[in-house]
Amino acid sequence: MIRVIALNELRRRLRDRSVLIGCLAAPLLMAAVLGISFAGAASTVAVRVGVSGASPALMAAAEQASQLPHGVTVVAMPSQAAVKAAVAGGTLDGGVAVLPGQMQLSSLLVPIVDPGASHTPGFDVVTRGTSQLGQEYAESMAAGISSVLYADKVPHHVTAHPATVAITTQSVGHGGKVNLNFFAPNIAVVFLFIGSGLGMRSLLMERSAGTLARITAAPLRPTQIVLGKLLAIFVTGLVTIFVIWAVTTFAFGANWGDPLGVLLMCVGATVAMCGIGVFLTSLAKTEQQAFGITMLVGLFLALLGGNLLPSGSLPDVFQVLALGTPNGWALVGFGRLDQLGEPASSVIGPFFVLLAIALVTGGLALTRVRKMVEP
Amino acid sequence: MQQAVGGSEAVVTTLGPSPMLRCEGLRKRYGDRLAVDGVTFSIAEGECYGLLGPNGAGKTTTISMLCGLAVPDEGDITVDGFEGGTLEAKAAVGYVPQDLALYPDLSAVENLTFFGQLYRLSGKELQTRIGETLELVGLADRGKDRIGTYSGGMKRRANMAAGLLHRPKLLVLDEPTVGVDPQSRNAILETVGKLGIAVLYTTHYMEEAFKLCDRIGIIDDGHLIAEGTADALIGDHGGRDKVHLSCDGADLDELAAACRELENIHDVHEVDGNLELSTDHGPAVLSAVVAVATRHGVDLTGVEVRSPNLEDVFLSLTGKELRD
Ligand SMILES: Nc1ncnc2c1ncn2[C@@H]1O[C@H](COP(=O)(O)OP(=O)(O)OP(=O)(O)O)[C@@H](O)[C@H]1O
Ligand SMILES: [Mg+2]
Repeated sequence: MIRVIALNELRRRLRDRSVLIGCLAAPLLMAAVLGISFAGAASTVAVRVGVSGASPALMAAAEQASQLPHGVTVVAMPSQAAVKAAVAGGTLDGGVAVLPGQMQLSSLLVPIVDPGASHTPGFDVVTRGTSQLGQEYAESMAAGISSVLYADKVPHHVTAHPATVAITTQSVGHGGKVNLNFFAPNIAVVFLFIGSGLGMRSLLMERSAGTLARITAAPLRPTQIVLGKLLAIFVTGLVTIFVIWAVTTFAFGANWGDPLGVLLMCVGATVAMCGIGVFLTSLAKTEQQAFGITMLVGLFLALLGGNLLPSGSLPDVFQVLALGTPNGWALVGFGRLDQLGEPASSVIGPFFVLLAIALVTGGLALTRVRKMVEP
Repeated sequence: MQQAVGGSEAVVTTLGPSPMLRCEGLRKRYGDRLAVDGVTFSIAEGECYGLLGPNGAGKTTTISMLCGLAVPDEGDITVDGFEGGTLEAKAAVGYVPQDLALYPDLSAVENLTFFGQLYRLSGKELQTRIGETLELVGLADRGKDRIGTYSGGMKRRANMAAGLLHRPKLLVLDEPTVGVDPQSRNAILETVGKLGIAVLYTTHYMEEAFKLCDRIGIIDDGHLIAEGTADALIGDHGGRDKVHLSCDGADLDELAAACRELENIHDVHEVDGNLELSTDHGPAVLSAVVAVATRHGVDLTGVEVRSPNLEDVFLSLTGKELRD
């Protein structure tokens, strides 16, 4: 019976274009726009980064370690002063002066762990305020160089390959550096909320259209009706996020990270966003209210959770607030996978937090929606 | 046959040992309005029972309780021996709501498939039933079309099909002909007429109740105020035949006095410059009345005999017109 209710809901969703647009077309479009703008930025914009004080071999190794995209050219510069002059003059977009005399083993990790810290012992990252990408790639080069140097200085069984140290060339939460890998899952999370809100709206519409009462007259329990409807909302959400994952990956070359981890996070994010989405919209009395709640709360959670602006670019208090939202936890989980390249096991924590959020809000949603269905 | 409602022993005399539907003392309050107040009636197997009443009388509220959509504040419901609101009771009922309750984006077949599945029909049996039911309501050739593209009357017929699909033991129709063109209306009435199952039919069209229903309950303001066959109700509460004489500018007083002298005339009074006579049997007195008029030199421009109908029953019971 639950399956019958859910399938009917899904079939109607497919017919009802407005829902189709909200749950699939809009996120897809968003993914496409993001994909084109971010994929384009990396391949078409030429960025020149100058490096002084490093041997050609070190530079080559560092370039490989920092995984610079095509279009970034690294050029050797004779001195720190030359780097500064070229960056100021515009012939370079950014630069790194390596100052071997000031370098210590312990400080080598700083550019890797914190690429935004430009004046670390041993490095001078030279930037021009107007070139965001220049700064980004200069910092990446600094991180790459330090990782190579670091790898040379520690025993080889600890760091088998320099590249494994310099896994992050762009990072969440520092200097507003963003990319498709960051945005794609986050946009998907926002649309999960909107999608579940639209699902609830469809239930409210069914109530005013009288079909809900007609279903209630049939020999099935209210819980079966509610679970059927919730299942349809969950499946729609899961399809939404999977489609965004597939499209951004295959069409635009995004990398969400370890597929198993992504799968786990997709399910976690979907149950949590559906739970909270259904619960909040179930507080609405009319379709219009439900629609308003969906849009406003969806946007609010997205902002607070850091889905739209990386919370790293906001004051610290927001980073704490973000963890009060499922969006924030989804961001943490997806961030570990796509930004830090961590394995699936790293998202078990965020996954269970999302699951807990889903259980609480889903339970509340269930009782609220049951009230709508019960005689 | 006919009885005043409220006397429960009277109800027992009309009904078989195990009625398909039995409601006793139903009461439902919305806020401080008593929508249904102590409604008691039963429907026997195969019987068509009409619930006749004006807007806001409590028809839909009564039906909602029978179909398990609303919980009565007081009273008992039994459907086919099962307590009202249970899954067994719901399975025995075919509910056709007052307003269209189908998905406009889906075709009739898709709608019926869904509702059929809710009543545990599936596979070949479901397909066969859908075909039969669409045939029954005259929509066999439009089954593949979306409900949204149907005319108002076709939507109503499809709505009814959804209630008939699982072959319920009791069909509950809530004003199925409101706002329906005569063609669809006839189709609906015809369909109900040939079903042979127990039917609860609410309407505020007295002609429909008269034509279709074996027994009629008259409901007003939440109360079931009378119940019986149409003939019995009219016989008991409808009053007498009325003979209406249109007589242009004649001396009515003299004619009225002469008519009062006639046999079988119970009452004569003036209405808008015409005369209206009450009699037990209009056609029987007609020739005598015309003769009297001729004798008094009154030129009758029209004579009309009207037998009482359910409208008169309602008027005499409530002092109100059925349709306002
Ligand atoms: N859900 C509700 N909440 C509040 N009042 C209600 C509700 N449903 C019905 N009522 C009230 O109960 C009374 C009976 O309504 P009901 O719908 O049963 O009448 P009805 O006989 O079906 O009328 P109609 O012929 O117009 O359909 C009305 O006064 C109506 O306003
Ligand atoms: Mg009604």
